[in-house]
Amino acid sequence: MQWRTIFRKEMLEYCRNFSWVWVPIVFIILAIMDPLTTYYMPIILEKAGGMPEGAVFEMPDITAVDAFMMSLGEYSMFGVLVIVLFTMGTIAGERKSGVVELILVKPVHYGTYISSKWAAKLTVILVSASIGLLTSWYYINLLFGELSFTLIIQAIFFYSLWFVLVVTITIFFSCLFKSPGAVFGTSIVTLLSMFAIYRVFSHKLSWFPNSLSGHIGEMLQTETIPNTLWGAGLTTIVSSLIILLIAVLIFRKKELA
Amino acid sequence: MFTVQHVTKKFNDNPVVNDISFRLESGRCVALLGANGAGKTTTLRMLSGLLKPTSGSIAFEGMKLGADMRNHIGYLPQHPVFHGWMTGKEFLIYVGQLAHLTKVKATELADYYLERVGILDAKDQRISKYSGGMKQRLGIAQALIHSPNMIMLDEPVSSLDPIGRREVLTLMEELKEQTTILFSTHILSDAEEVSDDLLLMHKGEIVESGTLNELRHKHQTSKINLSFHESNENYLPMVEQLPGIKTCYLDREDIVCVIEDMEQTRQALLEKIATDQWPLTRFEVSRASLEDLFMKVVNK
Repeated sequence: MQWRTIFRKEMLEYCRNFSWVWVPIVFIILAIMDPLTTYYMPIILEKAGGMPEGAVFEMPDITAVDAFMMSLGEYSMFGVLVIVLFTMGTIAGERKSGVVELILVKPVHYGTYISSKWAAKLTVILVSASIGLLTSWYYINLLFGELSFTLIIQAIFFYSLWFVLVVTITIFFSCLFKSPGAVFGTSIVTLLSMFAIYRVFSHKLSWFPNSLSGHIGEMLQTETIPNTLWGAGLTTIVSSLIILLIAVLIFRKKELA
Repeated sequence: MFTVQHVTKKFNDNPVVNDISFRLESGRCVALLGANGAGKTTTLRMLSGLLKPTSGSIAFEGMKLGADMRNHIGYLPQHPVFHGWMTGKEFLIYVGQLAHLTKVKATELADYYLERVGILDAKDQRISKYSGGMKQRLGIAQALIHSPNMIMLDEPVSSLDPIGRREVLTLMEELKEQTTILFSTHILSDAEEVSDDLLLMHKGEIVESGTLNELRHKHQTSKINLSFHESNENYLPMVEQLPGIKTCYLDREDIVCVIEDMEQTRQALLEKIATDQWPLTRFEVSRASLEDLFMKVVNK
């Protein structure tokens, strides 16, 4: 009951502050940018000129799967950045402004408060990200070749798990710090460290959350879901839930003033 | 209704509230009076559950230990902040639902309390457009929405202009009839005006408490104010030596004498003035007010 109340209020807020407009647009742009520019690169080069006379520009062959992985590549960089920016104020902002004083003197469980906000943010982000990837899939089908719908849905599903983790990490720091800037910094540092760890130990960490997009590429190539993808998906979702739980526990101990 | 026992709150080992104990009776309007920084806000925050005491206990009568006190409390922070993008009515319905009201009931009560605090006209305006006084009133409405047994208001009138202050004080006067009120203030006249009981706080401790009348009676000391044509300083040591005078000090134009027995001292003073022909310009018998008590405690 309370959970739905907060969730609905968050949704209303995202309508009023146009989050429901700009977040999908950003994700659509991120998703289609790379495949489209790659496809039209020869035309762009020709129109823009600047190529020396007689230069032959050999374009590598790009498959539909490669094009789709380009979209995921953009998501992994700028998508994550957008998510952290969009999520960092979730709890921290309300604590900083002081609204939280009025909410938490009502008999609201801290778990309800945090998890409903978490779910609301996830709804906007995952819906937007999915719209972006589906748009990208539409263009890829037109420009690069067929990719089956089931495969794309599976890819979107598994890739969403990565975003769940990113949102959860950001919300975790949002419970810890009052300043959105600090939340941004710590979240980005954490995500970069995870990336670095994965880079160094990638051969041993096939279930590590960062390995998700690699496994998704494999899935698209082989058209079967590799076991490592299930494994990485599982670690990602379990660690997200654990982090969320710890966030609630810390928040409960914390003084809100 | 509320029992606070030996509550201490420290921030980084710095006691902000130091071992306070008091009881709040149901149906009273209690003022928590003290200068800025006396620990009033910290006390209210602990009572409302926003802060946890470092030590000591807060018990709500008829409730199990550890149960959620927040069901029975309405709280107005010193500077209430709302979701500016919501309308006043939406916000009240929202917090009403958070306090376990159904949507229908919350809507009904939102209208009732908007009317009650006098901002019904602005119910569909965004809160970001509200003036300070309107926000304060919306704050009171949100504290009342779930019909709590007790409301706590942190400096409800301090930030308002004279008209807003008068309105909110009148509103509190009315609310006294239906709920227990605990409010903090640093303005004595506000406390005197609406409260039944006073808790006087200074440097994290409750230094005095009781009903208004009790306190008035207890601290009633008699005073005589004197003024002479020439400089008062010359007469101060002579006045001091008269019988029955506890202390004597200079206060602006006057010599103020705090005395024990009015009859005896007045007689002695007037005789002395007559025989020594002191150039008296003013002679006034007055009673110490709560303000003197307040000042005495705060300057200690």
